[in-house]
Amino acid sequence: MNIFSEIYGTYFRIAAKLLGNEVTDEKTVRETVQREGFRDSVLFLPQKLIPGSEDWGLFTRTPEGKLRRITKNAPVKVLTKLQKMWLKAKLSDPRIRLFMNSDTLSQLDERLSDVRPLYTKEQFRITDRFSDGDDFLSEDYIRNFRTALDAVKTRKIVFAEFTSGHGNHISGKFVLLKMEYSPKNGRFRVYCYLLRNDRIKSSGIINIGRLTKIVDTGRTFRTPVSVDDYFSSRKCSEPAVIRVTPQRNGVERFMLEFASYEKHTVRDLESGEYTVELWYDQFDETELLIRLLSFGPVIEIMGPPGLREQARQRIKRQAELLAEQREEDGHAR
Amino acid sequence: MAGFSELIKNFGKTRDYVRDFFIYGCKVRSDFDRKSVRTYGDEKRRVESWMGDFMRYDDSLRGRSVSISVDSGHIHENPLYSAYYSKSFTDNDIRLHFLITDILHDGQSMTLKEIVDLLNNDYAQLFDEQTVRNKLKEYTEEGIISSEKQGKTLYYSLSKDCTESFVKKFKGLDDALRFFSETRTFGIIGNSILKAAGLKNDLFYIKHNYMIHTLEDILLPEILSAMEEKRYLALRTFSEKRRRSPETADSENQVVPMQLLVSVQTGRRYLAAYIPELKRFSAFRLDYMKDAKMGGIYEDYDALHETFLKNMSHVFGVSFGMRRFTGTVTPMKITFFADVEKEPYIIERLEREKRCCTLEKTGERLYTLTADVFDPNEIMHWAKTFIGRIVGIEGGADSIRERFYSDIVRMNRMYGGDDDEHIQ
Repeated sequence: MNIFSEIYGTYFRIAAKLLGNEVTDEKTVRETVQREGFRDSVLFLPQKLIPGSEDWGLFTRTPEGKLRRITKNAPVKVLTKLQKMWLKAKLSDPRIRLFMNSDTLSQLDERLSDVRPLYTKEQFRITDRFSDGDDFLSEDYIRNFRTALDAVKTRKIVFAEFTSGHGNHISGKFVLLKMEYSPKNGRFRVYCYLLRNDRIKSSGIINIGRLTKIVDTGRTFRTPVSVDDYFSSRKCSEPAVIRVTPQRNGVERFMLEFASYEKHTVRDLESGEYTVELWYDQFDETELLIRLLSFGPVIEIMGPPGLREQARQRIKRQAELLAEQREEDGHAR
Repeated sequence: MAGFSELIKNFGKTRDYVRDFFIYGCKVRSDFDRKSVRTYGDEKRRVESWMGDFMRYDDSLRGRSVSISVDSGHIHENPLYSAYYSKSFTDNDIRLHFLITDILHDGQSMTLKEIVDLLNNDYAQLFDEQTVRNKLKEYTEEGIISSEKQGKTLYYSLSKDCTESFVKKFKGLDDALRFFSETRTFGIIGNSILKAAGLKNDLFYIKHNYMIHTLEDILLPEILSAMEEKRYLALRTFSEKRRRSPETADSENQVVPMQLLVSVQTGRRYLAAYIPELKRFSAFRLDYMKDAKMGGIYEDYDALHETFLKNMSHVFGVSFGMRRFTGTVTPMKITFFADVEKEPYIIERLEREKRCCTLEKTGERLYTLTADVFDPNEIMHWAKTFIGRIVGIEGGADSIRERFYSDIVRMNRMYGGDDDEHIQ
């Protein structure tokens, strides 16, 4: 029992799709492989499916030149034991209640009664998650989450009220684009546009946990919305440019910690230093800044000037604080 | 590139390459000196095929470097799942898969002989009984087929849980799958269900998404089973040094697995385990782990696990330090400056991020964090996110405090501040 098995593989999946029809043709085979396969699959897979010297024998050629499957029925994809064990493990995850009500969960639990979970939550420990994550079991939270999720799916305009991170009370009509989950914060957020007179006024993010009210207005936002445009509008105008030195295994630590960012890296062969350009959401700049500072002198923020200046001020203040402490320690002695 | 196949037998080798492309991002062919030209070319081509537009190429005097650049917080599906979907197989594997499931399609039970006869007569496919028996056994273990003994004969039938109808039957399961298929720990399995049901995630993004973790999931089933069955685990690991020097041998450790430790901020995952030979707990990085194999039962597992949990209350991240018990070093105290009126968010940050430490108000706009932990050094990476607010550090180890002071001096110099002789 292993997820690295051909039964879940792309080639099996494409073959199953093509075997779904009693008769197919070469063109459909090639198009399906092109669409569903890996980039180069069209060079390797069609000849395994189309009768010839290399084929698997899953199709025979008809007098009309079509391809007839050798099986009698469309393939059935059944849930494997491993997939059921994974589902069973998810039943203990409180977040599943955001999607399924208690009755349905009980039925699913009953259906999986003879399956042991793939893992238990006690077998894992998250070492650095913030302690004030969302309360996924709160009835209000679940209701708000579902309304928001439904609005993401249907592009329904919602009226929402919430308190922002800075403590401001905000209300208005919003169109919701995507849900985001942050494992670090243990929180769901939703990307949105604030509407004024049914036109997009500004982009934003609402924490589901901060919502005090969210209702479907019953109206759909029909203007086409591009999620790419949304992200572009939030992206920094210039990337952060970071010099990373090899001291204290800095390169490996930095590259791994910032692996989730879009970036471009250049290495200086002589010094072993890396220069990394990182693109980030400008509204997350402070978070990026403090994460960069945590690397100490192993890295240096080279730009943009605004980000470097913020770092400089914090470091200067820190140097002053330590000088004061040393001075006090000196007097005390 | 004659003989290239999109499919792979050896997941470990692929893991190794993807990590290098993903993490380092500016290596050229000659940096991969531990591998042959052919292997490099094949692995690169596969990764290009999976990652598509996320591949980046840069030409330099040393050659063309290949990297993966992806804003993984804004993708619907982890492209590295493709590695799992690339397992190689034989012609018989795929033929028997579709033929056996077709024969058992109507839910009837059949014997091995009946299946072999049908293959021969109805499908004109000649398979010997042993080959078919092996496949039936394998599929029974996978849960695709059920077997039942009637008298002395085994009867086989197809599992009744068709993925598509199963997902439809439980309202909300489709969206749960969309979400969980991108979350840590076996998201790949959720994704395989989604794909089998003809669904896609188009609703959720995961922030701080360390998508490379999926490649480490290959190790987890063995580790989790060893924990559940309270067994030893033989680990084969390598160090960062080995990546630079191919001659350095892998290390082998006989351990007793305790818990998997996941950092959602640094991108690292560890196995916390007891090393009987050294009589101490330690944490092993999963990305430096080649393989893990279960061994015999560890008799005193429950007592050991209890000790482990007690120890964990003195671990800030994953390090058990070099001491057996806390108390031999003075707890570390870090005092922060924050104005509760103007900057309540700083105190909120301290509260929510303090982990096993305690926080108390110790003066006008002063808050002191006390850390009685095995390895105070672990706190400093986090503490530096408060640069500009650290009023003082006491306790812990002299070396840690001195390093912090010298780091600030170096940073101050780096960013154009004045040297301050007081904090040299």
